[in-house]
Order: sequence, then C-alpha cells, then structure tokens
Amino acid sequence: MKVAISSSGTDLGSNVDPRFGRCPYFIIYDTSNDNFEVVNNQGRQAMGGAGIQAAQLVIDSKADAVISGNIGPNSYHVFSSASIKVYSGVSGTIEEAINKLKKGELKETSSPDVSSHFGTGPNWNN
Amino acid sequence: MIISVASGKGGTGKTTVAVSLAMARGYCNFMDYDVEAPNASFFLKPDIKNEQTVTMKQPYFLTETGADFKKCAEFCHFNAVAVAGKEVIFFPELCHGCGGCLLVGPEGSVMEKDVEVGKIRKGKADPGISFFMGDLKPGYMRTITIQSEMDKLIEHDKIVIIDCPPGTSCPMVFSLKDSDYCVLVTEPTPYGLNDLDLSIEVLKSMKIPYGVIINRDGIGDGKVEEYCNKNNIKILLKIPNDMGIARNYSRGVSLVEYDNSWAGKFNKILDFIEKEAV
Repeated sequence: MKVAISSSGTDLGSNVDPRFGRCPYFIIYDTSNDNFEVVNNQGRQAMGGAGIQAAQLVIDSKADAVISGNIGPNSYHVFSSASIKVYSGVSGTIEEAINKLKKGELKETSSPDVSSHFGTGPNWNN
Repeated sequence: MIISVASGKGGTGKTTVAVSLAMARGYCNFMDYDVEAPNASFFLKPDIKNEQTVTMKQPYFLTETGADFKKCAEFCHFNAVAVAGKEVIFFPELCHGCGGCLLVGPEGSVMEKDVEVGKIRKGKADPGISFFMGDLKPGYMRTITIQSEMDKLIEHDKIVIIDCPPGTSCPMVFSLKDSDYCVLVTEPTPYGLNDLDLSIEVLKSMKIPYGVIINRDGIGDGKVEEYCNKNNIKILLKIPNDMGIARNYSRGVSLVEYDNSWAGKFNKILDFIEKEAV
C-alpha cells in the first residue's frame, strides 16, 4: 500500500504537517517494501485551491491513502471521489505515523475536519 | 462626473459619506460597488424595480465520452479542476471562467454554460437618485464580473457616486478606475492612518485627485491630520465621534436625514470638487 503523508521535512524523523494543502513536502511511502520518495508541494503558495492541487498530486502519485494533521472540505471531496482513504488528525513523526498505520491504529476519517483556508494566514510562518 | 468614496480600512464611514453626498445633491447615480457586502440600500431605501442577473461562463465535462481530462486540471491556475481516473471534480467557486480547459481539454468533451454569480438591483431613491447595487452570490469570487456589468449602467451626464469596497486590492482599484475624484474616508487612529497611506499610494499611481474626510473625529490621535498637513492633502470634512450619529446610523438613518445641516456641508464638498479639484 502506498500512502502520502503531509510532512514538514524530507526524512522519516520529520513531523506530520498539520496542514494538508499547504505543507512543504509529501512523503510517499510504500508499506510493501518500506521505500519512500519525497515530493515538493509546489502548490503550497497557490492563491486558492492549494488543497485541490495537493490532492491531485496525491492521486498522481498513485497513493491509496493519505495521512495528515487536518483535511479541508475541497481536498476531502477529491479524495472521496478518487476512493483514496483519508487518515486525518495525525501528529508526531512520519515514522510513528507509518508504524501506527501498519498496526491498524489509525482510524479512517469520514469527513473534513477543518474548514477551507485552515492552512493560510499569519499563524503559519511561511 | 464620477466621484468615488473609498477607504483602506473597513468601517470608517464610506457608505455614510457616499449616501450623504448623494442625498445632499440628489438627481445623481448612486452605485454600490461593494458587492460583497452592499449596505447603502439600508440608508437610501430605494424602490427596487428591476433585477439583472450577472453570469459567467463555466465549463462542464462530458465524462461519459471516456476522454482524459488530465490536461484541464494541469492547466487550471486556480485549481478549480481535479481529475481522478475518468472522473472530474469541478469546484465552481474557484473557476474564473477563462475557458482554458475548453482549449486544452479533449475536443468536444468540455462544454460551457452560463452560471449566475450575482445580481444587479436597480431602483429609485429620494431625491431623484438612480440607484444601482451589485449583490455577489455567496461563495463566488466574481466581484469584478459584477462591477464591470455595473460600469455599463453608469449615466455619464450625471454626477455619479460610487461606494467602493474597502481595502486596496482589485475590487477597490476596479471601482475607482474611471473616477474624476476620490473621497477617502478615514478615522484618526494608527490603523486608519496606515490604510489611508496605502489608499493614497493607489490613487497616486492611478493619477486620480483625492481629498480626505476624517470620521469619528475626537477618538485616537492627531496623526492623520498631521499626515495630511505635512503632505499637503486637502481635508474636506471632519465628522465628530457622536453618539447621536452612531445611534441613527444603526437604525438606517443617514447623516443628512439625522441633521439637515450636514446637507450643506456635503454640497460644499461637491461644489469644491466640481469647481476646483477636477
């Protein structure tokens, strides 16, 4: 299974980013062989629709699931249309998140947990 | 002659001033260009006789053709389109109606239709005011689509008062662009001064003459007046911070209705603009 995780950094010790659409990186992790690749989230500075663009990136990476701190309504809508599993409300390191996923400790999210534009504004220092 | 009423900071009294200018002079056009939150009708109480629907073109995707719409998602600068396999997920609120997805998408599988983004309401208000207000549909970011349709309704042989949206971004710039004069309303606070300065930057670069009205005079500090004097900016009027004015405002009673002596003051401003400033 391939899972896309919103990440604040480029290695497995980085934290799961609380923002989905505007996180700096995605770590695309393959649980079948424990390989991963790092993808720059180029849409993070988009004026609008960053979540949609990031969701498209996840679809294009062929991931079956996504892990993030928070997921907004637009990204959630794209994932449900694409039948990609969403695990939201996750914090800690990427490695911890993957271990939890493998042990079946993550619960699938059945609705968006933040409103649009959660990841924008002066509270995020980037 | 077009006179716009603007301010960087919201809630400084743009509508109070715009409505007072229109009521004091009468027989003018009043255009509420603050289409995201139009409120001048609360004071002018126009008899709305006519409504015009404003539309934009938006795409729809014939997914039953089995075509690949990936290029549409890649092209869309506003991220209004996502593609999952053969399915297209479209976000109408984000679409700017550029038609790009028709050009780059699979031929014959992307169509266009008219979608309502808001309304323009037209009516008459006393005395002899032709009233126009834009009303943007919630969720749609098509402010300028509505404003540009309102532009076509302006009667250029009359005095035209434009109540601008707050701020200094595109909707404000678009509202001002044809103005002969701009009345900037501010309050004598640090926030008011900061945003006055930003508005003046915009007007300078657009080469539109302007003057300042200080509203709620008596609060804050003297920095706005100091700034105007130092930069040789005309202070057209000061409106005191007055409980009676505020109380009547909250009931939809304009300044000139509350106290008719204000009509003379606003007429003087219009005389000044007509004779000296333009």
